[in-house]
Amino acid sequence: MRNSLYFYYLTLNLFKDKKKLISTILISSIIIFLLSSIFFIQDSIKASLKSTIKNQPDFIIQKNRGGRQVDLPLDWIDKISQIYGVTSITPRVYGRYYFEDKKKWALIIGVDFLEDISNKELEKIFKDINLKEFIKGSNMIVGSEVYSYLKSHFYNKDYNFLSPNGEFIKVKIYKVLPKELALNYGNVIITSLDLAKKILGVDEDKISDIAINVANKDEWANIEDKLNALFYDILVVSKDDIKRAYDNIFNFKGGIFLSLFLITLTTFMLILYQRYSLVNLDEKKEIAILRSLGWSVKDILKFKLFESLISAIFAFLIGVLSAYIFVFIFNAPILKDIFLGDSNLKNSVIFIRVVDFSTIATIFILFIIPFIASILIPVWKIAISSPKEALK
Amino acid sequence: MSEILLNSKVIVYLLSEGILYTLSLIGFLVAIYLLKKWDFSSFSELQFRLEEIAYLIVTLITFIFLAKVGLIFYFIFTIDALSLQVPGAMCAAGVISANSYGLTLLAIKLFIIFGLLLWIFINYLDLEAKNYPYFKLKMALFLVVFLFLTIELTLDFLYFLNIDTNRPVSCCSTLYGQLEGANPLPFGLDIKTLLILFYSLYFVTIFSLFFRQYIINLIATALFLYISYYSVVYFFGTYIYELPTHKCPFCMFAKEYYYIGYLLWGTLFLGAFLMLINSLIALFLKKDIKLSSFAQLLITLFVIISTLYVAIYYFKNGVFL
Repeated sequence: MRNSLYFYYLTLNLFKDKKKLISTILISSIIIFLLSSIFFIQDSIKASLKSTIKNQPDFIIQKNRGGRQVDLPLDWIDKISQIYGVTSITPRVYGRYYFEDKKKWALIIGVDFLEDISNKELEKIFKDINLKEFIKGSNMIVGSEVYSYLKSHFYNKDYNFLSPNGEFIKVKIYKVLPKELALNYGNVIITSLDLAKKILGVDEDKISDIAINVANKDEWANIEDKLNALFYDILVVSKDDIKRAYDNIFNFKGGIFLSLFLITLTTFMLILYQRYSLVNLDEKKEIAILRSLGWSVKDILKFKLFESLISAIFAFLIGVLSAYIFVFIFNAPILKDIFLGDSNLKNSVIFIRVVDFSTIATIFILFIIPFIASILIPVWKIAISSPKEALK
Repeated sequence: MSEILLNSKVIVYLLSEGILYTLSLIGFLVAIYLLKKWDFSSFSELQFRLEEIAYLIVTLITFIFLAKVGLIFYFIFTIDALSLQVPGAMCAAGVISANSYGLTLLAIKLFIIFGLLLWIFINYLDLEAKNYPYFKLKMALFLVVFLFLTIELTLDFLYFLNIDTNRPVSCCSTLYGQLEGANPLPFGLDIKTLLILFYSLYFVTIFSLFFRQYIINLIATALFLYISYYSVVYFFGTYIYELPTHKCPFCMFAKEYYYIGYLLWGTLFLGAFLMLINSLIALFLKKDIKLSSFAQLLITLFVIISTLYVAIYYFKNGVFL
């Protein structure tokens, strides 16, 4: 019973100090909102990249001359296919195609529909397409961003590509990829292998690179050695390399943001310190009354800390929830450009909903420790203020 | 700048440690001031003021303790997550041995938690007694803990600054498993005697408390902590992973094993720490802080969880590993 009275008094007190609390809660929840939004965006992008990488081929083999990637001959495929353990080999032709203004570009990917498709995500895209019809004519599948770019330039049904040797190649838009794939396939144009070669000016007997799959993951290092021994100017990129590179990019962006955020956090701590140091006469009187009723310094400390902890947790919930709505329902306008900022075709990504417990824990620690640290000393000062003076 | 330092978890961790250290620094300065001026027999205004100031240290330390307990879990979680960034590492074991500071840091963290916990109980007795009989003792203890906090913060930065993301580290099975026939257990024990020791030490710790043999309890608990570490890594762990060759104290923190490591190591260390504190206080301060049954409960819980893993495996498969 005593306990419930205590909490009753606590809540009464909370409502009484509304004005003071609202400012604390407001500023805290803005801080948390910013933090959580960044973390949610980062996690969501990482998760969708992870799922894309899972569908990527295990190795990509490129020919490298003087640090530049060059086209490689088709007969490499035969040599590579003799390595034991390689399950599928896909020749790939791709490259950037710059539109008329030479500023915007799209990635053209040529796919050999007669071979196995090593990219499992592309495989899904082709499932519901009439391949025969697609290969027969000059058709292309375009990403959502490419489509909106073409449409704004009045190419509603087809586009005239200008090949490096000066010919115009008219290609029909066969299908537009759904918006969910925009992060990876937003600015992509998929055509048949031969058509891509023509548009990009790749020789008949050459390809851009080779993608291979290896069934046994334990053999990856072994296969990589064998490939390196086969050709002198080969560059082998494994799926793990790509994954690590992506991870580092986003850790870097998140890290830079967080380092800058520390300045905000310091200001936040100072404001809190100030806010809790300002004690009005009423509050002093109240504490004096409690002291004379028999409360010890320890009790008052506990009471005051409880009070601020409740407002902190309240602010935390508001901040995280509003960030969730902002990122996953409104798709994080403005803020997402920190991560996706690109001068190329506009990127309209839909964030997949991923909320990790570890992210919440990170946000909580990053908030609660500075919060309590900055109010401890002022609260203690209030608690030990002399009751005699307050009641004078 | 090292890539590790841009990992958001590492930034958050280091920031929190820094803030806590700043608080403890304030506490340290106040403690020295208090120790210098403290005179309980005096009736001066200063002495009354000092008694109020002492509350600051109590509040600071309680907060630091709670935060440190949270942060040690977060630390393990962070280095577990870093295993994706450090080549060769497959769990926290590889990352923590990425340089020579890691394991020392972890040991110091545990020691600090022990010290702070001991401080909190001595403080409790001190405030109960009304005439501050242990004031000098607890302040001295805080000064010692502060020394370790300083070392810890230095090691924190040294450790994270010196993780090289280009140099491969060993994974746990190389660190704990394949020792080419060498016996990793202390005193030349084998698994059977290790287990006999484990269970007998457990009973000694439990029963020595019943008969109030605190010296025996102190020694037995310390030994039990030591033997438990080896038992979990080299015997019980293999049942958690259901793989006789997988010997690692860190992999059990991972999601694949339902984060059981946090519960297992948590109950062991908290139980053993409380038991040690209980016996230390009973032995030196001649006070009973009534922690024994809770400590016994925690340690028993630890033993039951470990044993259950073996038992369930045996019931499922009909054989031992």
